[in-house]
Amino acid sequence: MFEPYLEFAKKAFAREATYRLEVFTEIGSLVLRVYILRSLWTALYAQNAAPINLPLHGMITYATVAMLMSLILEVDGTRMIREKIREGTIATDLMKPISLPLYFFSDGVGQTVLHAVLVVPSLLCALLLVHIDVPNAATFGAFLVAFLLGYGVNFFVNFLMNSIAFWTLESFAVQLIVRWASDLLSGQIIPLTFFPGIFGRVVFALPFAAIYSTPLLIYVGIIPPSQWVASFAVQALWLLLFASLSALVWRAAEQKVVIQGG
Amino acid sequence: MPAIIETGDLRKVFRTVKRVPGPLGALRTLFSASYEDRVAVAGITMALEPGELVGYIGPNGAGKSTTIKMLTGILVPTSGTVRVAGLVPSERRQENARNIGVVFGQRSQLYWDLPLIESFELLRAIYGIPRDRYRRNLDEFVTILEMDEFLRTPVRQLSLGQRMRGDFAAALLHDPAIVYLDEPTIGLDVVAKDAITEFIARINSERGTTIILTTHDLAEVERLCRRIVLIDHGKLIYDGGVERIKSEYGRFRTLVVHFSEPVADPRLDGAELAGADGSSARFRFDRNRQRIDQLVRQASERYRVEDVNIEEPDLESIIRRIYVEGYEEAAR
Repeated sequence: MFEPYLEFAKKAFAREATYRLEVFTEIGSLVLRVYILRSLWTALYAQNAAPINLPLHGMITYATVAMLMSLILEVDGTRMIREKIREGTIATDLMKPISLPLYFFSDGVGQTVLHAVLVVPSLLCALLLVHIDVPNAATFGAFLVAFLLGYGVNFFVNFLMNSIAFWTLESFAVQLIVRWASDLLSGQIIPLTFFPGIFGRVVFALPFAAIYSTPLLIYVGIIPPSQWVASFAVQALWLLLFASLSALVWRAAEQKVVIQGG
Repeated sequence: MPAIIETGDLRKVFRTVKRVPGPLGALRTLFSASYEDRVAVAGITMALEPGELVGYIGPNGAGKSTTIKMLTGILVPTSGTVRVAGLVPSERRQENARNIGVVFGQRSQLYWDLPLIESFELLRAIYGIPRDRYRRNLDEFVTILEMDEFLRTPVRQLSLGQRMRGDFAAALLHDPAIVYLDEPTIGLDVVAKDAITEFIARINSERGTTIILTTHDLAEVERLCRRIVLIDHGKLIYDGGVERIKSEYGRFRTLVVHFSEPVADPRLDGAELAGADGSSARFRFDRNRQRIDQLVRQASERYRVEDVNIEEPDLESIIRRIYVEGYEEAAR
């Protein structure tokens, strides 16, 4: 029953792997960005911009791990919703005995696995330029759990974004805004602990924090073991919320396609 | 035998936002949209028996594709009933999908980046086709459609003819009882077209697959189908044998007269001038009312005739007249 979806994932993996040049440029650009971030943070810390509980080596670790995570999280398997609607191929997909959301998800997972494989050489290259802290096994395990939950939240945020295309094909601007917001508010670029006062509290309350910030703060030890479970719970809540919302949106979208003919 | 495809007074009305022209129009449509109903299918009742090969024809925008979409279950009818192999397609989309195969001439269902064979493998997984049956079908299609040489080529590099053959195989791998073909030979050269036409006939006769063929190529319909369903403006205007439509609407013959010297205003009593270019003229006449030999004699008495020939109406010219003059007009 799940065989088709396994095949979709395999095919997505193979498809991504055919773009070899892109794969190597991606590793190259990642290493470069890691180096720039190290220089930047080193300079900032020298100007005494250091926050209370994150020393420079912790900050560089944070930035590097965030970079590696982005290799995986920037894969957007649901982008094909938009493409399929624009090209009209969604109709032929609907004539197959498959669930389309599961299809998109497995395709995304296939792409993710390829990019996850890239994390290893990227990490090795990055290690030539920066030193990163290695946490103990329990912390790393907690990081992985938080990462997976964040992966789920990220998938559904993307899914919802791309589903806008069912109603209007001009969703690019919205996508861009959400992307910028999420880059900044997810903790991918700067740790959310850097945001001051009330603003800091707001960003932690937003769903974007579940994507990068939670796993990263666990990794560098700002979220202590005593708060792990609570952090997972918040992530799981977001996951559940966005998954349900996606299901609703999907049902409405399918209705619209079958009534209006796409 | 019970019908495998059945529609009862099937209707589909699309509601679209009416756009107000002018620079502020876009703004006005944004806030106070008024709607416009467009009737795509206006009450079609038909039934197909298992194993039939029916030509579903009509001019552009007649509602053919909309009907096919409702039969596949990706479009919900506004009213009326549809049953395909006992299922209501739009309510049981995935189950219905297992019974049907679809080929669109304009749109491939193959996976663009993958070699052809991998699209087939993927379809095997999607439909859960048992391996031995998959092997058997694949071998058969590869042989008949001569796909050996491009089986490992990525689909985006295939020629249109190769891609169409791939699409046919893809639509039939899971042994569907029903196949919808939507302009499957559009844009193909004569040789490729013949190969596809022959393949369609073979699938229908050997596997007993029920086939609905929509096409503008009426020569193809004439070769393949015994029955045609003709629709226009969403309404069914003819449903029956190809032979019957030809005898009912094909009473008219054309006499082509080639003159050995230019004739300014050629005329024949009992026939209507249908076109002239100085050195030849075409006369249309009703074979029930006018004898051919009389017309020919008349022509040779009045003009210096080099040659004459008589054109039998083919399905194409009959359908063209029905499109242009309307069904009732054309029957007179």
